Amino acid sequence: MIAFWLVGTILIASAVWTIAARKPVYSVVALLLNFAALAVLYLTLSAEFLAVIQIIVYSGAILVLFVFVIALLSSGTAPFAAGPNRLPKIWMPAGIIVAAAFVFLTYALVRAPALTPPRAGAVGNAGVFGSIADFGKALFTVQLLPFEVTALILMVAVIGVITLGGEQMRAPSPPHEAKVERAMREAILREGEG
Amino acid sequence: MMAAPIGDYVALASVMFFIGVLGVIVRRNPLIMLMSIELMFNAANLLLIAFARAWLQNSGQIFAFLVITVAAAEAAIGLAIIVTTFRPEKYVDVDDVRALKG
Amino acid sequence: MIHHTLGVTGSYPLLLTLWLLPLAGAVICWAFGPQLRALAGWLVSALVGAAFVLAVLSWAAATQNAGGALGAHQPLFSWMPGFDFGLLLDPLSLLWTFIITGVGFLIVFYSIGYMDGDPAFARFFAYMGFFVFAMLTLVLSDNFVGLLVGWGLVGLASYFLIGFWFERPTAVAAARKAFVINVVGDVGMMFAIFLIVANVHSIGFGDAFAATGAYGAGLLFAICLALFIGAAAKSAQVPLHTWLPDAMEGPTPVSALIHAATMVTAGVYLVARCAPLWDGSAGAQMLVGTIGGLTALLGAVLGTAQWDIKRVLAYSTMSQIGYMIMGVGVGAYEGGIAHFFTHAFFKAQLFLGAGLVIHALANEQDIRKMGGLWKRMPFAFWVMLTAVLSICGVPMFSGFFSKDQIIYGALQHGHPWLYAVGIVTAGITAYYMFRLLFIAFLGEYRGDEEPGAHSGQAPAWIMNAPVAILVVPSVAIGAALMYGGENSPWARFFAPLFGQQMVPSAAGISEGLTSAIVFVAVLIGFVIAWQRYATRDAQAGAVERLQGETRRMPAVLVNLFYFDAAIDLIFVRPAQFLGVVGGRVLDPRVVDGAVRDLVFWARWLGAVVRSFQTGLVRAYALILVFGAACFILYYALAGGVR
Repeated sequence: MIAFWLVGTILIASAVWTIAARKPVYSVVALLLNFAALAVLYLTLSAEFLAVIQIIVYSGAILVLFVFVIALLSSGTAPFAAGPNRLPKIWMPAGIIVAAAFVFLTYALVRAPALTPPRAGAVGNAGVFGSIADFGKALFTVQLLPFEVTALILMVAVIGVITLGGEQMRAPSPPHEAKVERAMREAILREGEG
Repeated sequence: MMAAPIGDYVALASVMFFIGVLGVIVRRNPLIMLMSIELMFNAANLLLIAFARAWLQNSGQIFAFLVITVAAAEAAIGLAIIVTTFRPEKYVDVDDVRALKG
Repeated sequence: MIHHTLGVTGSYPLLLTLWLLPLAGAVICWAFGPQLRALAGWLVSALVGAAFVLAVLSWAAATQNAGGALGAHQPLFSWMPGFDFGLLLDPLSLLWTFIITGVGFLIVFYSIGYMDGDPAFARFFAYMGFFVFAMLTLVLSDNFVGLLVGWGLVGLASYFLIGFWFERPTAVAAARKAFVINVVGDVGMMFAIFLIVANVHSIGFGDAFAATGAYGAGLLFAICLALFIGAAAKSAQVPLHTWLPDAMEGPTPVSALIHAATMVTAGVYLVARCAPLWDGSAGAQMLVGTIGGLTALLGAVLGTAQWDIKRVLAYSTMSQIGYMIMGVGVGAYEGGIAHFFTHAFFKAQLFLGAGLVIHALANEQDIRKMGGLWKRMPFAFWVMLTAVLSICGVPMFSGFFSKDQIIYGALQHGHPWLYAVGIVTAGITAYYMFRLLFIAFLGEYRGDEEPGAHSGQAPAWIMNAPVAILVVPSVAIGAALMYGGENSPWARFFAPLFGQQMVPSAAGISEGLTSAIVFVAVLIGFVIAWQRYATRDAQAGAVERLQGETRRMPAVLVNLFYFDAAIDLIFVRPAQFLGVVGGRVLDPRVVDGAVRDLVFWARWLGAVVRSFQTGLVRAYALILVFGAACFILYYALAGGVR
């Protein structure tokens, strides 16, 4: 029980730190922590395969991708997000939505179903719920179509990335640099006033 | 391993989801926005797996697996877009991207 | 009365030809006017004359009486059960057709000379042809709706012809007035037709008359009243008479044909045709007779206050038609129709003769500027003299027979007041008609123009011949046809239609005595006119005396009981006011304002929606989240996704 609440706290705290961190690198690290806590929770829910997949795919691949992009975009020493906030009144609607969400949360909790105990059996058996054999069997027989479609989606993603990223191999042209310089000067001026 | 009452998992997932929503709306760094979106995906996954456990149906787990896959693809493309849009800029501020204005 | 249309079957294609020939002439003149020029007149005259010949040839067919089916019938088409359109030629419509095509032919022929030199020569004859066609539609229809169609078309033709010289604003106003008053009559007719169809489910004359007994007194009176509104408008009876004097703005042949011989008698035709309806309603008969008598008297009185030769004739027409309406109103159908018949001849003769004078004096119509014409235009003088003698009902002239028949008929059918009115009116008629003759033709010439200086290029015989031809019937036809009372050719002609009239025996006064009394009245009128205008010394001050009479006429009568003013007040002013309100207030503010408001709100809405399109990604993200939240809320409240 305590373990569960500990993990839950880590989950929430890391989530908050993700969105609140000053630097993106800190956010990435927080997210990593979040995924780890999530994997533990999956384990408690008899989803062993998914716990492992979570670590491998999410933390191992996607977060690394994030890190690469951060590296790519912070080529200068200037800080991120220096422009003026154009949506200052965002706090109000955001707050309302979150509050409403919590109300709904309470309501949902009241109506949560009870839990049934798992079937007794060794891990790894095909008949045990959440075992990898059980999972695999379902994936390749009953849910074959979604599996194939997902493969297609991955291929589309690869093609998309190549198409989008191909143009950025070139260095930015000088006139563009001038425009950017001007924009930076203006932004600093505006920040000075505001 | 003994699981907590499903309601707790639902609570956790909801909180995580709405933290993600908050992150998308409030933060202006596109990378943080994408990470918030990933948070939302994971919240949904947690819910799926929790209810798969509650009703002893492994289709929930399979769905979560597919969600992970799609999230990976989407993160890849989203990052490619961010790179494309912000690479020439000095400052990475999503409020500066106003091509959709009109 | 025999309900002939019920039994008439078969077809008579000659009727179709008769009916359509004048229309053909009109269409050709409309289409090829500029090319035809002078030929247009000859063409239309020939076609109308041909129609007359066909009518004569149809005598036998029209008077055939085979087992209750009187006349010749030509079906046209059947729209619905009960709405069968066709043409009918029975003695009544045959008589009218004779006048329309016969006198019409003479007048159209005369117009070739009268309208010579007018730039719109062909258009005139197109209109005349169209008029003849329309009038034939009116009298030849065997059903109420066809009659109404003819009714309306005749009104239209009248509008065209009165306003023929449309450059003159007075002519245009007169045409408009005539048309509007006629429309009032049309509406009355329509209501009558509605009532009839509602009860009988048919528009045919036969069916409508067969059910006379089943109508009920109130309904029958209503039908007759509605029909009479139409008749009164068309025949210029009080109170719908104000258009007739103004209608003299049209060319003189128009006045002769339309406003003397044919169109204005359409009301008489209507009442005669619907005799079964009128016989069934004593109230309607009283109404019609009274109005007829009133109009006759009023027309005569007003005729003494005019100095325009055509206006005198117009009021005289009004008065004579009053006689006719009175005749058919009280039930003396044969008398009323007889007067129509004779009146057509001598009134046409009067107008055409006046036309001769007007044409010779270069369109001068004021009799104060005439005088002494009996020496310069002897032909016109003698022609007018015979016509005046006829209209006054001097014994043995045509008018004598018909007018006396009406006056005596009024007494026979139990209307002594109308009898008296008829006698008095006859006297006044004599007075102003002879006065006209004396002032215009006797004495010294008072005008400026030299008579005959502006006759135009047309040979004189074109205008003189028709007038000469008309002398014969206007003098003699009465004696020829109507002499002999019950056994006259006239009575025998109409016996199948009106023969079963129940004529009560005379109340005290015999017909001969009546004629004598009328003659005395006429003589008195003649003598007074002679004293005031014909003697040597009287001629000196003739004009002043005329002006004096005109001025002393009470204003109320001259202004025709302020009828026009009343209409102006009740209808015209409010309509104009509404128009102004509509134009200045409603249109700019309400209608345009509504459009402007619409534009404003559309723009505002657009601005509001546009403010959402900031281009800011986070704003869009917020909206997405908001939408998702709404969905979640809905499902949460609705109890789940099911």
